[in-house]
Amino acid sequence: MKLLEIKGLTARYGAADVLKGLDIEVEEGEIVTLLGSNGAGKSTTLRCISGLVDHVAGDILLGGQSIMGLKPEAIVRLGISHVPEGRRVFPGLTVRENIILGASNRKGVSRRALEGEVDGMLEIFPDLRRLENALGWTLSGGQLQMVAVARGLMAQPKLLLLDEPSLGLAPLIVQQVFRVIADIRRRGTTVLLVEQNAHMALSVADRGYVLETGKLLVSGKPEALWNDPQVRAAYLGGHAA
Amino acid sequence: MSNFLQLLFNGLGIGAIYALVSLGFVLLIRAASVVNFGQGEFSMLGAYLLVVFFNIFGINYYVSMALSIVIMAGFGVIFAYTTYWPLRFRGGLPVIISTIGASIFLENLVLVLYGPSSVQIDGLFDADGIQIGDVFLATQYLSIIVIATILVVLQYLVFEKTLLGKKLQATSQDKEMASLLGIPVVFMILITFAYSSAMGGLAGMLVAPLLFVSVNMAGIIALKAFAANIIGGYGSIPGAILGGLALGVIETMGASYISVPYKDAFAFAMLLLFLMVRPQGLFGEKISEKA
Repeated sequence: MKLLEIKGLTARYGAADVLKGLDIEVEEGEIVTLLGSNGAGKSTTLRCISGLVDHVAGDILLGGQSIMGLKPEAIVRLGISHVPEGRRVFPGLTVRENIILGASNRKGVSRRALEGEVDGMLEIFPDLRRLENALGWTLSGGQLQMVAVARGLMAQPKLLLLDEPSLGLAPLIVQQVFRVIADIRRRGTTVLLVEQNAHMALSVADRGYVLETGKLLVSGKPEALWNDPQVRAAYLGGHAA
Repeated sequence: MSNFLQLLFNGLGIGAIYALVSLGFVLLIRAASVVNFGQGEFSMLGAYLLVVFFNIFGINYYVSMALSIVIMAGFGVIFAYTTYWPLRFRGGLPVIISTIGASIFLENLVLVLYGPSSVQIDGLFDADGIQIGDVFLATQYLSIIVIATILVVLQYLVFEKTLLGKKLQATSQDKEMASLLGIPVVFMILITFAYSSAMGGLAGMLVAPLLFVSVNMAGIIALKAFAANIIGGYGSIPGAILGGLALGVIETMGASYISVPYKDAFAFAMLLLFLMVRPQGLFGEKISEKA
């Protein structure tokens, strides 16, 4: 069943078209990755899905229902959780507080139940256990990423949007992050993953889309994409003549 | 020594007023990045509401206070929608100018409705105060210190111990991320305006029996509260409290030991001194809004 359908999505920042008629589908239970170089429109696509971009045309459907024009608060309540670029962990709140606020989209759950869920998250991310009372600004990049993902999962999303989770992380931490992403899918959450690290992204994804300057270049299974000359060219910076 | 203790007590009393008004400033700076130059008028309006309910309608003093606080909270929401909301994407300066405009409008509105004559109003309690040794604890000062302490403790508990407080903090640190988590950012900002307005109004009601209630009663208090905010550390909650108390004590001591006519000058001399020597204030922000 199609969980997310993006049809003819166009977005502009100022005078520039950042997305030019993009079509993307995500099936329930999949990990789908959006690849492409800087400025291809990957992050903008995620920002459109979660309602952060104003000048948008086309349609975005969640489970067959249009979510275009809804506010970010409303979209997360429908079950789309966005872990944005740069992690955006609240610097002045502790790890535990950051994570518990991830459940702000859910109504009528007691504080005690939520604290219990945070404990559950700290079991999934054991490195955070000893940091639960540390303020956000004191954490390293890898720790921030773990907090951001844990916070995103507290929303109990149907669809998790992950923007560049490997950015700026040491290779060992990147592997840890991708293990977590595979785990998340195993727990039944669909993932739409934006990455520059194509190799890691294609190693966990079921399907991938490659964007170039706001348009779809090619899409398909990881093996096919990995062997596609266009993709290789795009990642080497421009088309071969 | 007894004179010193007496001045310290009176200074803390007036300092608690500065601290309350300064807290109103700080909360709005943190939640909505708004520097609200109408903060003093919140106090003036609160005092006038008390005058209307108690002096004119003859309603019980404490009921009048409660009514005034509720009305001020509602007024804070109206203030937010008219002064801040239309300009919220236009950056800091347009909103500052708009709050200055609102403060001029409110002063003149009261002038038209009530006239220029100032009014006297009763204190919270009939008793004058308590004599302890050589120090006389005036009831109104004592009430101000107690109420301010309770408010600060309550505010600390709400901010640090409840999810609502965490959501308010999250909103002030990163509005876009807060909205992505499903935190109703607009509602959080309106709550902050309502609370700032109610607290400012209460400060006005508490200080009213010590001064006359007049249209410009709050101007100087708001200026000193703003100075307290800079001295304590721009946008810092503990800074607002300590800065307010320190200013109250310094100007009371300065007036007594150095010069009465220069009473108001001490606060601003302190402000200048801090801007020169320690511009980040006592509690310079440990983090900027976006670390």
